[in-house]
Amino acid sequence: MRTVRLYLRLLGAHFRSLLEYEADFVILVVATVLMQVVNIVFLAALFAKVPALNGWTFWSVLMMFGAVALAEGVGSLFFDGMWSLAWQINRGELDYFLVRPYPVALQSSSAKIGVNGLSNIVMGIIMIGTGLAHVDIAWTPWRVLLGALLLISSVVIKLSINLATNAVSFWLSSPTPLFAFAMHQVGDLARFPLSIYPIALKAALGAVLPFAFISFFPVAYLLDTGQSRWIGLLTPLVAAYCAVAAAVIFKRGMRRYESAGN
Amino acid sequence: MRSYRALIRATAKAALAYRFSLLLGLGAVLVQLVALLAVWRVILAESTVNGFTWPQMRAYLLVAFAAGTVVSLLGDFRMAFRILDGDVALDLVKPIDYQKARFAEAVGGLWIELILIGVVVGATLALTGGVDTPAAPALALFVTSMLLLVPLKFLIVYVSTLTCFWTQNYMGVQWARLAVVNLLSGALIPLAYLPGWLAAVAQWSPFAGLTSTPALIFLGRVDGRHALQLVAVQLGWVVVLWFGARLVWRAGLRRLTVNGG
Repeated sequence: MRTVRLYLRLLGAHFRSLLEYEADFVILVVATVLMQVVNIVFLAALFAKVPALNGWTFWSVLMMFGAVALAEGVGSLFFDGMWSLAWQINRGELDYFLVRPYPVALQSSSAKIGVNGLSNIVMGIIMIGTGLAHVDIAWTPWRVLLGALLLISSVVIKLSINLATNAVSFWLSSPTPLFAFAMHQVGDLARFPLSIYPIALKAALGAVLPFAFISFFPVAYLLDTGQSRWIGLLTPLVAAYCAVAAAVIFKRGMRRYESAGN
Repeated sequence: MRSYRALIRATAKAALAYRFSLLLGLGAVLVQLVALLAVWRVILAESTVNGFTWPQMRAYLLVAFAAGTVVSLLGDFRMAFRILDGDVALDLVKPIDYQKARFAEAVGGLWIELILIGVVVGATLALTGGVDTPAAPALALFVTSMLLLVPLKFLIVYVSTLTCFWTQNYMGVQWARLAVVNLLSGALIPLAYLPGWLAAVAQWSPFAGLTSTPALIFLGRVDGRHALQLVAVQLGWVVVLWFGARLVWRAGLRRLTVNGG
């Protein structure tokens, strides 16, 4: 509990300093909203001409885009500091974190705040919500609960992948998280139904770096569409696996950390 | 002229040093290429849509990829940081034109981008099958259009980077630019798919020249007169933006405050 309270206070400090620059704040929010609007226009234009993509309708693909936006948004708003890890390692800034009585990973991830996450979260929720409103799901309490669990798991998977790929910076001593960023971009592939990709990409997105569990599999399960709908039920397990793997990779990396030496 | 040629050479040599920013830009364009190829392969396997066949769409997406990759090394980041840090003051004391100098740098980085385009286009063609090249006149027009794309894209990036004189938030401006360009250039989806009014706006905007115009000419979807007209629009925007950018630059300089030294 104390950990969470402190985390929010750490973030709060950044948030207040951010509000100093009002125009910058507005530009960033407008830009992220614009990016999602462009995605929606693209999907609408595409599906105006074709009824379905491999059996997936506009609304289901919209939900997949929304799920990715939401997970990314949570990552930026609450854990943006992860993306500075490479820099913190390279500059030896981790020294400060190591002497404070608070988990190093959390100190690192709270080192920054990405306001663009706020608009991504809102847009993601709108996209998922609109999608859900237009599809036929027999809602039972059990299904609502499961839906919420899938959503949380999806976000956890994205955060774990972010942490794990950024922790790779302990081994590569570059000051920029090129590897993590490349993987992040690969994750954008998972906004489309996995079934359209060739087998190698299916394996990469479904198993190696399970981006498909952020969007495709949970949506497929909820909408009861596609050939492998039951796989969506594994999402919480995949989330747990990713979280543990990320923690292990981070711990291993920490052992390799050498200060910058001054 | 000699000093600009020297800048081109210097950037050409240093190009590999900026591979990080190049890869950052390339990654997004590459992922989009892979995703859209997969999407259209599935859709067009069943029937043609809006008159696009699968080999045509493949060619379209490859042109879009090439257009998205050129002039991305330029390091708009570098120029932005120099303005934000105030280092731009050092550029001001040099006896060369700022805009031309930046354009020379953009040209200097082209070779590495062309190599990357060659590799990706070659790999895609090898994996998914070839494309039909247009007849000689259309091909000449396509090459002209691709050549015009270089100054056009440079100018759009340049003007958007000049906003750093007004805002600290360079990232936000660039994201907004990328989003708008992606849609209105037809890189994300051919303009013919957009609602009529939006397609018309896009068609006459400077952005159509960034993908739609060269791609449509390559596919032979626009013929003689119409194709010439599209290239003329492209050229018109290059001229307008070249002089427009000078006005923005002058206005920006008046806002510039550099502390210390």
